Amino acid sequence: MNIDFGPELAAFRAEVAAFLDTAPTPAIREAGRKTTSVFAPFEQVMAWQKILHARGWAAPGWPAEHGGTGWSVEQRYVFAEEYWKRDLPPLLPNGLGMVGPLLMELGSDEQKAKYLPGILSGDDYWTQGYSEPGAGSDLAGLSCSAVADGDDYVINGSKIWTTLAHKANRMFMLVRTSREGKKQQGITFLLLDRVDYPGMEIRPIIGLDGIPEQCEVFFTNVRVPQSGRVGAENDGWTVAKALLKHERGGSAQSPAMYRKLEQLRAAAAATPSPNGGTFADDPVFQRDLGELEAEIASYAAFEKMVLTGHPIGRDPAMPSMNKVMSSELGQRVSVLMTRLAGINGLPLQLSALEVGSGFDPLGTAHDLVAMPYYLNSRATTIYAGTNEVQRDLIARTLPVG
Amino acid sequence: MDFTFTQEQTMLREALSRFLGQHYTFEKRRRIVATPAGQSPEVWGQLRDMGLLALPLPESAGGLGGSIVDVVAVAELLGQHLVVEPWLASAVLSAGLLAKRGETRLPALLEGEATAAFAYEEGSGTADLAQVAMRAAATATGHVLNGEKHLVLGAEAASVLLVTARLPDGRLGLFLVDRDAPGLSLRSYTTIDGRRAAHCRFEDVAAGPDALVDADAEAAVAGAVRAATLALCAEAVGAMGALLEITASYAGTRKQFGVPIGSFQVIAHRLADMKLAYVKARSLLLYTAALAENDAASPRDVSLLKAQVGRLGRALGESAVQIHGGVGMTDELSVGHYLKRILFVDTVFGPSDYHLQRVGAAQPA
Ligand SMILES: Cc1cc2nc3c(=O)[nH]c(=O)nc-3n(C[C@H](O)[C@H](O)[C@H](O)COP(=O)(O)OP(=O)(O)OC[C@H]3O[C@@H](n4cnc5c(N)ncnc54)[C@H](O)[C@@H]3O)c2cc1C
Repeated sequence: MNIDFGPELAAFRAEVAAFLDTAPTPAIREAGRKTTSVFAPFEQVMAWQKILHARGWAAPGWPAEHGGTGWSVEQRYVFAEEYWKRDLPPLLPNGLGMVGPLLMELGSDEQKAKYLPGILSGDDYWTQGYSEPGAGSDLAGLSCSAVADGDDYVINGSKIWTTLAHKANRMFMLVRTSREGKKQQGITFLLLDRVDYPGMEIRPIIGLDGIPEQCEVFFTNVRVPQSGRVGAENDGWTVAKALLKHERGGSAQSPAMYRKLEQLRAAAAATPSPNGGTFADDPVFQRDLGELEAEIASYAAFEKMVLTGHPIGRDPAMPSMNKVMSSELGQRVSVLMTRLAGINGLPLQLSALEVGSGFDPLGTAHDLVAMPYYLNSRATTIYAGTNEVQRDLIARTLPVG
Repeated sequence: MDFTFTQEQTMLREALSRFLGQHYTFEKRRRIVATPAGQSPEVWGQLRDMGLLALPLPESAGGLGGSIVDVVAVAELLGQHLVVEPWLASAVLSAGLLAKRGETRLPALLEGEATAAFAYEEGSGTADLAQVAMRAAATATGHVLNGEKHLVLGAEAASVLLVTARLPDGRLGLFLVDRDAPGLSLRSYTTIDGRRAAHCRFEDVAAGPDALVDADAEAAVAGAVRAATLALCAEAVGAMGALLEITASYAGTRKQFGVPIGSFQVIAHRLADMKLAYVKARSLLLYTAALAENDAASPRDVSLLKAQVGRLGRALGESAVQIHGGVGMTDELSVGHYLKRILFVDTVFGPSDYHLQRVGAAQPA
């Protein structure tokens, strides 16, 4: 066992810190402070990705041959720590964390050459078109259909909960290409070069926090080239499962959680408690903060097992366990945030939340984000496979029956 | 012992249910929330016609002399239908306090021509009157008010504000201030649960001799806040009942993997827990209301109720969203609006953690 991060990392840490201290614009920093979702404010975070890309640091986890950093596990961890310390907006996951790694694994050489550069640079944003009104947890029950016609597919149907489709320029999606045999066997994985093909219509959906983040996407005789197919026709379920690995695990999230803990501590020390003193002096709040830290410590240790290839991390239930642990931790954080905000969390402050609005919030910067963060976090146990379904998957890896 | 509603109360509830079911649909409510005023004079007039504005006031003040159980009986239904009209702030809290001294502005409130707002909160988030620090300094002609009041519900639409402030002798004063009084500025906003409120700043607001409604208002305000807490809890319980029903019926119709999601045991058990939470909250509500009606509800009893409703309500609301999946996260469905109403109730007049701590720390009398 070795817990030493190595002395050479000190120099690396200093290099990262120097860059992160100077490179982000004020708007990017503001976007980081106003991030109340896993999806940071779009315009600023994409601008930030371009800056990181110019430095060669947009994709710490990618292999060097595809434009990644080629960093060691330890370096990536250090980078994440320095990144989160500064409350910078997290890069959006769909391209860098999902479709990019998938293409490296299963895309054709042509697809790699065509799409990976735009994913890395932040010129492209990919939205994920999987779920449908009738197909959520039972994703294989999807019915949006694609019929081959010459060199094209003709798509009819609809997708829903398509996050940021209204901001994206590309989409990866699952379509039904056959209704024969098992429902998993008639699904095909497609890459769409555009989201404004004739016949495509996008309707944003407003969330509990009052912000439009998800969308509904309608397809009426939408013609797309077959060259966007990944894998074979009717083999999209295999492709989707390969992508899921990337969606549910493998990144360093605990530094973000430690940062949230630090912010909670600071806010607690600055917030008067109705019992006298501040929340930092309140034994009940202290205990709850302690419990949160203990849970984060377990998660951070688990994450290190995963990152270093320990057998715990090679458990078949790893992705599901990671998803359940991290989503429920995020919700726990958000509840403590609203407790500190108290009545200052009750005003709806959409203007003040907008980056660059110059609109003064009521209450503190912490009060401003607490309630939207709490409301948005309710979704983390629903998306990327609900936690009920994840627990089923975890149970299935145990010798029960 | 009997904790059922009286025949009169039941009739009133049936009439109100029918009215709200027909004329206060979720779509109608959405339109009302979207108007500049955020409340509906039409609905207010209809509530008046049903006697709801007069209900909480003593007969001596032109009211119907309703009891706290009457208030709870009505508030539960308002919560069940997510009614945003300022019934609690104006008709229960403010009018109730004004009735004590036969205020001349009361008839306009009773007639539904005007509303009043109650300005007591200074940031502590509790109903603890010891935390009221706003100063009322004596002048030759009365008093002058300086300070800030947070989260004043219905302030913008109100014609008058009832304001708590410390008098020079340290006692709690209750003042009646015109909403457009010089020196009073409002920063208005919408709350997460679709209500209008304001942050009010008082800068040398003159309050003449007439404006001092009560020069020793501690007991009256505490009583009014206690009644309002029960009414708020009743609203939350109404919201919990609605969520339970909506969610159970969704689980019965939403199919995944070819079967209703309610047939998955984890969903069935979650629904069972929601029902348990609802029954625990509603039982304690009705019992505490009965205590209050007999002048036997201690601050501790009210704390117990507030804590249970906040805690159980949150858990129930979060489950309702989880069972709905993606659609539960949208503004389009009522589910999230109920959750946000419950969050609001849990947050004001002291959140559940605060009340639990108080109950746990103090010996029962
Ligand atoms: C904020 C947000 C962002 C999203 N982003 C995207 C996106 O970008 N692209 C995309 O394609 N999709 C996206 N989704 C959709 C998401 O993947 C689905 O919401 C999710 O798969 C659940 O499906 P559903 O909403 O239809 O719920 P349902 O599947 O109808 O589930 C309803 C309830 O039933 C439970 N349930 C269902 N099946 C079982 C079972 N077998 N056993 C036990 N319980 C069960 C669920 O756990 C849940 O509690 C997003 C969702 C949200 C909320």
